[in-house]
Amino acid sequence: MSLLGLPHAHSRALRCALVPIPCNGSGGGALSQIETLLESILDAISNGDELAIPYRTVRSTRGEDRGGEVVRFPGRTAQEAKRFAALFRIIELSHEALVSGNLITKRNIYYQNIDMFKSQAVVDNIVDNLAFTLGVGRGDLNIVAAAKGLISGDIEFLMRGGAVVQCGLSRDSGFLLPSINSIDKIDFRATEWLLVIEKEATFRTLAASQFTHNCRAGQGVIITAKGFPDLATRRFLCTLSSVRPELRLFALVDFDPHGIAILRTFQNGSKRLEHEDDVTVPHMRWLGVRSGDIISHISVFDDLASQGTESQSSQEVSSQESLVYSEVDSQLEGDRPAKRQKIKRIQDASESIAPLTQGDRKKAIDVMKDICAGDGMDLEVGDLLLELQMMMMLNMKAEIQAVDNFGNITEWLDEKLEEFCLH
Amino acid sequence: MSKQYLTAHTVDQAHPTEIFSLSPTPTSLFSASGYSDLRIHSTVDPSFPIQQIIPGAHKLGCHHVVTARDGVGNTAASVGFGGEIKIWTRKDTGWELLWEVTPAKSKGGDVWAIALSSDEGFLACTTSDGRIHVWDVAGREIIQTYETGGGGGAGSFAMAVDLSRDGKLTASGHQNGAVYVFNNDAGRLAYSLSGLSKPVRTVSFSPGGKKVAAAGNAGIIALYDMANGEHVGNFSTPSDRPAWITSLDWNDSGEYLLSGSLDGRVKVWDVIRGVCVATHSETDGALWCVRWLPKNERALAPGMSRGEMFCAAGKSRSISFYREATGT
Repeated sequence: MSLLGLPHAHSRALRCALVPIPCNGSGGGALSQIETLLESILDAISNGDELAIPYRTVRSTRGEDRGGEVVRFPGRTAQEAKRFAALFRIIELSHEALVSGNLITKRNIYYQNIDMFKSQAVVDNIVDNLAFTLGVGRGDLNIVAAAKGLISGDIEFLMRGGAVVQCGLSRDSGFLLPSINSIDKIDFRATEWLLVIEKEATFRTLAASQFTHNCRAGQGVIITAKGFPDLATRRFLCTLSSVRPELRLFALVDFDPHGIAILRTFQNGSKRLEHEDDVTVPHMRWLGVRSGDIISHISVFDDLASQGTESQSSQEVSSQESLVYSEVDSQLEGDRPAKRQKIKRIQDASESIAPLTQGDRKKAIDVMKDICAGDGMDLEVGDLLLELQMMMMLNMKAEIQAVDNFGNITEWLDEKLEEFCLH
Repeated sequence: MSKQYLTAHTVDQAHPTEIFSLSPTPTSLFSASGYSDLRIHSTVDPSFPIQQIIPGAHKLGCHHVVTARDGVGNTAASVGFGGEIKIWTRKDTGWELLWEVTPAKSKGGDVWAIALSSDEGFLACTTSDGRIHVWDVAGREIIQTYETGGGGGAGSFAMAVDLSRDGKLTASGHQNGAVYVFNNDAGRLAYSLSGLSKPVRTVSFSPGGKKVAAAGNAGIIALYDMANGEHVGNFSTPSDRPAWITSLDWNDSGEYLLSGSLDGRVKVWDVIRGVCVATHSETDGALWCVRWLPKNERALAPGMSRGEMFCAAGKSRSISFYREATGT
């Protein structure tokens, strides 16, 4: 059945969950600012003056307001002239995109002028600094990052162009997350929860098994930003939760300092892009992986891991390891043919558990400092701090796969989601 | 023959979060947790009341607090998760900060474990890149740095450290399973001890300095002779599933070793016979620290027995005190 075939009022009556996405309001401000800027450059050209574009970098101005920084042409150095050219090109492309109402990706900007920009990072930097200078978000310039996030679940997007994206179709890979600016309406159907997963591999496993459809805690949607979250995914989540406040938001990240940093970026934003609005979901809850999810299994992991990699160091140790084996056996409860496979899985799991590196420990301290610098220690924040302390005490990290390898991730998620949806 | 220990008292919810470390003076017990304050409990009163709270001692929480074994009990040291070391001194009015080693001041990786010599004059601390620094407490300077793993910070994370009571030896336990013993007079490695191939979380010298015990993820306790560096025994209870051992402590006579592990069990081992003579698993969840209380010669409050006592703490956030059942 096509939604488009129905008159608008009908579709609303039939599907009460159809939620309109508000159009991005402040884009006009960016357009007029850019046009004023372009006019001033034209004036300067006709008067034969030096050309100047105000340009403040996110990093240099943080903490102290050193306004009035500009990039000039021809400028004092060849480098400044090049920077002017690159900045001007991006302003021109943004203007074009704003006038036509299209979106342009940062990747696209780079590939149109590879020689000028030299690297993608240069484009990313200039775009963020331009948005910061104008006091708008990146999206207000109609410049977006290439879609990185994936989505899967029984949810439907009506795009502004009229196309319909159904994310519930059985596809292992999920769908590329559309830019929130290009969505007109969302049909949430029976969606009760939304789970963001750090690891793409876990996302694909769950998408393939139709977990969002079969979950005991009700129907939901899963999203992955493939590691550290991009602005597009964060803005998408923020918009979703603002148009549908009752939607429960969860995150499943690795038990390591980076996992916690990812969760905190979703909740509180990132330092570099502090000037972006509407990109945080403070009430996103942390589903796992926590120390408690693995701590009871670590001695078994440990012994089986050493079984594979190390020769026996002493009689005593080996006799204990045989005890561990019998422990594993008893857990199998007569499931004989699966036994070898299960031990194999536990061995795999031990690979997803590793000691912290020195870098991990430094990162953990940084995230803890960041947590303690914030105002107020509520229960959830104290929980994050404790888990970082546990990582350092145990000197251990674990990937999401550890949970899957030890048991079955869908069962584990069913339990967690049920538990969290109750409170 | 087993020994009997009874629960003497439990200080419920001694900290708002998990307790990571305990350390006794002759009359009190320091406790440290994931929360920022240090707490000091009286150990001469049967209700073990709070004597002092040092608020905001370590902003990110504290993982190690130590006092001198056999010491007079005038100095304590603690390490926070931020890597800072704080040295505390006892005044008439209570404990106060003497000085602080900020992370920038200690060379190499982040500071982790610490130990204080019996005369309270020296502090040994380990780093995440496998170094062991020895500080002169009065002079406030590093007087010795031991490198492991070939030097240059290439060593395996040193998770545990201890100083012998005479101050002559330093022992360190590492993530890669290595245990090193250094001769402090000569300033060099005395023994590289093998036997545990898994992370070593605790090392402890016997009171006479003749033996060192080490334990960790292997779930067994390895005992080494300091006369020749020989591995002289392993303690384990074959009937239990092995659990990571987080803490070891010798009693004052050197006859018994106390161990605490992640499965919540605290055990007393008869060192001569190499057997476990008492097990308690009353606590809920992981234990991070177990300590004997020094034998007390002074007048005791009513209700305190002269029998030997030990304490344990961890995930439960409470501190459990146990006393020997004297049978009289």
